[in-house]
Amino acid sequence: MAEPTASAEPAGGRRSLSALLTTALVFPAGLWYLVLLVAPLVIVTVFSFGNRAKNGGYEAAFTFDNYTRLLSQPQRMEPFFTSLWMAVAGTIGCLLVGLPLAYFIATRARRRKGLLILLLVIPFWTSFLIRTYSWLIILGRENLGGFIGAIIGDPDFRILGNPPAVLLGLIYGYLPLMVFPLYVTLERMDRTLVEASKDLGAARWATFRQVTLPIALPGLITGSILVFIPMTGEYVIPAILGYGRTFLMGNALVDAFIQTRNWPFGSAMAVLLIIVMLLVITVYVWFVNRGRHGREVSVI
Amino acid sequence: MADPLEEILRRASQNRVPRRSFLAAAGLLGGSAALAACGSSGTSTSSPAPAESSAPAASSAGGPTPAPSYEIEKQLYMYNWSDYVSPINIDKFKAEFGVEKFQYDTFANNEELLAKFQAGASGYDIAAPTAEYTPALVEGGYIQKIDWSRVPNQQYIDAAFKGLNWDPKDEYQLPKDFGTTGILYRSKLVSEPVESWQNLYDLTLGKYSGKTVFVDSMGDVFIMPLKMIGASLNSTDSGELEQARTILLDLAPHILALDSDTYQDKLASEEAALCLGWTGPIVAMRADPATADIKYVVPSEGSLFWLDTWVLVANAPNPNAAYAFLNFIQDPEVQAEETNYNGYGSPNDEAKKYIDPAVLADPAIFPPEDVMAKLEGAIDLSSDQHRIDIWQEFKSKIGG
Repeated sequence: MAEPTASAEPAGGRRSLSALLTTALVFPAGLWYLVLLVAPLVIVTVFSFGNRAKNGGYEAAFTFDNYTRLLSQPQRMEPFFTSLWMAVAGTIGCLLVGLPLAYFIATRARRRKGLLILLLVIPFWTSFLIRTYSWLIILGRENLGGFIGAIIGDPDFRILGNPPAVLLGLIYGYLPLMVFPLYVTLERMDRTLVEASKDLGAARWATFRQVTLPIALPGLITGSILVFIPMTGEYVIPAILGYGRTFLMGNALVDAFIQTRNWPFGSAMAVLLIIVMLLVITVYVWFVNRGRHGREVSVI
Repeated sequence: MADPLEEILRRASQNRVPRRSFLAAAGLLGGSAALAACGSSGTSTSSPAPAESSAPAASSAGGPTPAPSYEIEKQLYMYNWSDYVSPINIDKFKAEFGVEKFQYDTFANNEELLAKFQAGASGYDIAAPTAEYTPALVEGGYIQKIDWSRVPNQQYIDAAFKGLNWDPKDEYQLPKDFGTTGILYRSKLVSEPVESWQNLYDLTLGKYSGKTVFVDSMGDVFIMPLKMIGASLNSTDSGELEQARTILLDLAPHILALDSDTYQDKLASEEAALCLGWTGPIVAMRADPATADIKYVVPSEGSLFWLDTWVLVANAPNPNAAYAFLNFIQDPEVQAEETNYNGYGSPNDEAKKYIDPAVLADPAIFPPEDVMAKLEGAIDLSSDQHRIDIWQEFKSKIGG
């Protein structure tokens, strides 16, 4: 039993078993990414070089027509810019509301922490569409819109159908995605660092800027990206709260795929949108990280 | 807060606007369709002895009885707009032909239906696309020719709905319901005459700026400028489209909303006074005292009529049940119940004897002859680049 080969074998077997186990555990996630992320991206990219089939849909081809059409007409690019500034404003809005909220829950809420987190999650139990429709009522002329109109004496005053209503819907819809990552990083923060900062004579704002904010940065970046990306492609909120008057990329995409059934053109728009988002996010991460030599914050 | 939301959901589920809507069917109607399905089993008891009453009706109408040699399958798979077949008729059909499973799946627009067929075998027996999509469905090989000897009740279809350019030899489609695109307005709010597209244009640019809603549908919105300049609504002439573009861009800053899903709510709340839209919501709005002043006109320059049709899906798994249904649904009394239920015009002449007189006399549902004469059927022009460019420019300008 004490032969050298016998002792080597179980070790090798264990190693291959653990490799097998690793493969088995990673496999579902790998398959998920391959089928639901990589494959659709490849399909969209391939489609974007195709032609619209006679009755709509996709016909195999290799042409740059979709891109030239997209880039050559200024009105085609308008939804891109509207989407971008809406998403940037929405992200900043989420940050302005989300950071104090996350900070409060993480540091001040004490025993109510669990309850507050639960309250943030509860809206997710209801369909997004229904929640957006309920804003239609809250902001409508029978309620808030009419109330403000009566105060300023303008019977035609409306909140709905204007960019601020869309912005409000965006911030409301995506706020939790900003709060959770911020909460997680702030919750782990060593509170003694703040005390040390105060002991060393830093004022509140200096402490926030030099201690709290750098610690919260990973959560801030993750949160910003989590809200920015879906906001850029948002379709439902501008259609309902914006009365279809704020024409975003998501709406242009629906038009391309549904109303005109031009899948290749829609795909080209989608590819361009992905490229624009990648650029914006890269610049953003670079901007936030600059000057933080050696302690770069990764995206996810 | 709960009550108004409930009200919106109720309205969304009751009126038949979602026939052409995208959002409502995507989310809200999933729930309401389920509710309707629950409700239908409850209403079956209230329909007067369905199995007995319909059999004599079919024979008394004089049509030859369907050949009995076909064995009717125990199930039928239908792909249709939401709430587009009367639950009473579904129960009646099941009882009469021994069909146990009547699967009623819904689509929100023709594009969704087309996409489903393009993706491969759908497994459906019957579908109800709008007629302008028939050429595409035929070309794709998604539907099959109908053997009219097995649908004797086809004889009741008005000649005006036969031989149309969508299906010139009447091989593939059995007309189901028709309707128009026109102007909806609250007569309480609009005292000026609303009779033409020109009126709508003037009112929108003038007194009712910011109080006009357009449905979010390219084909329907183009009717207005093209008819105003006396062109065909199917025009692809570059000069005419440029004139249309000017008119649309003039209108853009004055439009309250581009909305196919909740335009009836905007009319009901009086936020909107005028609307370029469909007949769908008027039945429900008239029934409510608060909105009973709603009016619908087909503009005098002419407009579009759409026709929804029954088609037989290629490789239908239950062809005999499908044929039984196609013939059953055009039985005059059954068809009359359909019209009373959905509030759209029926192409079945014989059915008019049994339709509720109030519905039949409603010019919004059954337009008079002279109005009918000015209606044009739509050709699928969703590939026309010039139109698409104008449409997108219009949409971007609406934002202000």
